[in-house]
Amino acid sequence: MDFEWTEEQAAFRARLQAFLAQNLPDDWEAFSKHGPASPALTEFARGFCRRLAENGMLFPHWPKEIGGEGLGPWEQQILAEVMWEWGEPRGGQYMNVNWIGPTLVKYGTDAQKAKYLPQISSGEMLWCQGFSEPDSGSDLASLRTRATLDGDVYRVNGQKIWTSYAGLADTCFLLTRTSDDRKKGITILLVPMDTPGITVRQIPSLIGEGDIHEVFFDDVVVPVGQRFGEEGQAWEIINYSLTNERLGIPRYHLARAALDRAVAMLKDAGDFTREAVRIEAGRCAALCEAARTANYAIVQKRVDGLGVGAESSSARFATVMAERAVCEFVVEFVPEALAGGSAYLQMHHQRGIVAGVAAGAAEIQLNIIASDVLQLPREPR
Amino acid sequence: MHLSLNEDQTQILDFIDSLAKPFAGVPLHDTSFALTSDELDGALVENGFLDVAAMPELGAVTAALVVEKLARLPFAVEAAASALVRPLLDPDLPRPLCLVQEGQLRKPVRFLKPGATVVVVGNGKVRSFTATDDIIRGAGEEVLYAYPMAYLTGIPAETRAHDVAADTVLRAWRVALAAEAAGLLAAALQSVTNYVSERKQFGRPLATFQALRHRLAEAQVVTNGVYWLAMRAAGTADPADAAMAALHAQEAAKRVGYDYHQFLGAMGMTLEHPLHLWTYRLKALTSELGGRGEQALAAADALWG
Repeated sequence: MDFEWTEEQAAFRARLQAFLAQNLPDDWEAFSKHGPASPALTEFARGFCRRLAENGMLFPHWPKEIGGEGLGPWEQQILAEVMWEWGEPRGGQYMNVNWIGPTLVKYGTDAQKAKYLPQISSGEMLWCQGFSEPDSGSDLASLRTRATLDGDVYRVNGQKIWTSYAGLADTCFLLTRTSDDRKKGITILLVPMDTPGITVRQIPSLIGEGDIHEVFFDDVVVPVGQRFGEEGQAWEIINYSLTNERLGIPRYHLARAALDRAVAMLKDAGDFTREAVRIEAGRCAALCEAARTANYAIVQKRVDGLGVGAESSSARFATVMAERAVCEFVVEFVPEALAGGSAYLQMHHQRGIVAGVAAGAAEIQLNIIASDVLQLPREPR
Repeated sequence: MHLSLNEDQTQILDFIDSLAKPFAGVPLHDTSFALTSDELDGALVENGFLDVAAMPELGAVTAALVVEKLARLPFAVEAAASALVRPLLDPDLPRPLCLVQEGQLRKPVRFLKPGATVVVVGNGKVRSFTATDDIIRGAGEEVLYAYPMAYLTGIPAETRAHDVAADTVLRAWRVALAAEAAGLLAAALQSVTNYVSERKQFGRPLATFQALRHRLAEAQVVTNGVYWLAMRAAGTADPADAAMAALHAQEAAKRVGYDYHQFLGAMGMTLEHPLHLWTYRLKALTSELGGRGEQALAAADALWG
């Protein structure tokens, strides 16, 4: 075991930091209060990701065959940490490089690869993920948005909800039901968002304006060639995708950065001498670092070519604990931060609330840990 | 960054597994509050397992791995201080090693007995002496912790000064505490998951009830965190890492202690079930180095000044 970064890894992080420091606009910190899925940040990201791509920083972890630098999972994690620490200037395009690209390479037809990979690589393209539905949240496999084969097209009818980026996305990675088999009846369609019959409605939210949406599909026509994988293969494909995405956003890293900011504000105010404050700050730091090390243990599994497995749910839950603790710390000791006192802490707070909800609720992570890490007998269904 | 075990580490842990096999279970009908074994202790010393930190190719992380592994046994072994603190002072100090803070003689001391080396840390100094009968007061049957414990009634006039900063020893002590706690937490969790997976009520295993599943899953999360923070603190020798590891360990001990016994129902109140061997050791570790608040303050000092 070695807990130090290699020189190359440290240099990679420094290079990313320097690039962001130099290339983000002067008012970036205030601007980053717009969430990654907001229209403002999404528009900004289109130009910014192109510059990242030109500098080899958009998908350095991709294999060389598809234009990447062939760097490993540690570099992918470093990239994610640095971007998230800066308020994710890639907007929704982090999804493209984390999992949509690799999934396209594995399951896409030649035509799909030829069409989408260059668009992703250009840093101009945005996807949205049509997964959750009003009655299918944690129980995703119960989804009902129906795709009916009609000659050489599918007709799609139904509704998605909580869809990030839907307002501005080019294409939806859409889960649809093609038969009644719970998991084997789900099929992926790649649907251009300007297809007639799609209506997008923004949902006002605590996490920032324009970040989540409802999407309605009213007899939307999708050519069969836009099916991704075989009919009924969706569950297998999204499980593969999730192995690329399970670690997801390195929220522990932003939480730690936010904690450091909060402490700096307390020091400036002369309040970091109080033991009550210092004890709580120490506690928060320990939770952030516990989450960090738990996440790093999963990255190591990817380096070793092992499945990330259920332990990734444990790392995710540790991250939720850290996020909550830091958000609570700010509310308790730096209340002014959430009332105009700190754009950075406000940005963190708005995103922090998502930690226990997005990409599988915290309780689902606990279920997975109970069954698959602790190997407890399953609950009756 | 490389978090897999190397070949040496895998081998050492496997070797400990086979050596400790006879000690992996509680002897039948034994209802001791604290379980120890001179035989196990002797075998560990003889095979050099407590000296791995001093070997450059193995180092402190391997020592922490050894400590974590041994703490999972139902038998209490003084490994943590010997393996992680002793190398900083004098690798030949007689064992067991008992760590005490200056001015804290009111507290019971783990593993204290005649012949033990007592290391006193505080006021910027580190000194040691060999414990003798006249300054040890046995705690008799009163001890509610699952370690052998006794009181130190005084410190001899003559002590040996060690040329090492008190902060360095405190850092290593925190790593030792966290590594030992990581093993205790893991063993206690395993013991409870085994029980609730078998014990049936309302026609199904207790472990199928979500009220228990979620709390056990959260316990797994913090146990995993303690493990990794302990290993990192051993590897980096960073005072902030050590303080956070010890803090997280003491937080975790507090979090699980009552839950675990409660999940076992009345069986959790007996000495027949060995759970207390781990949880009541965790209770003892909870008070070390001043408890959670002190570790949190140490972390804040190290991180932010």
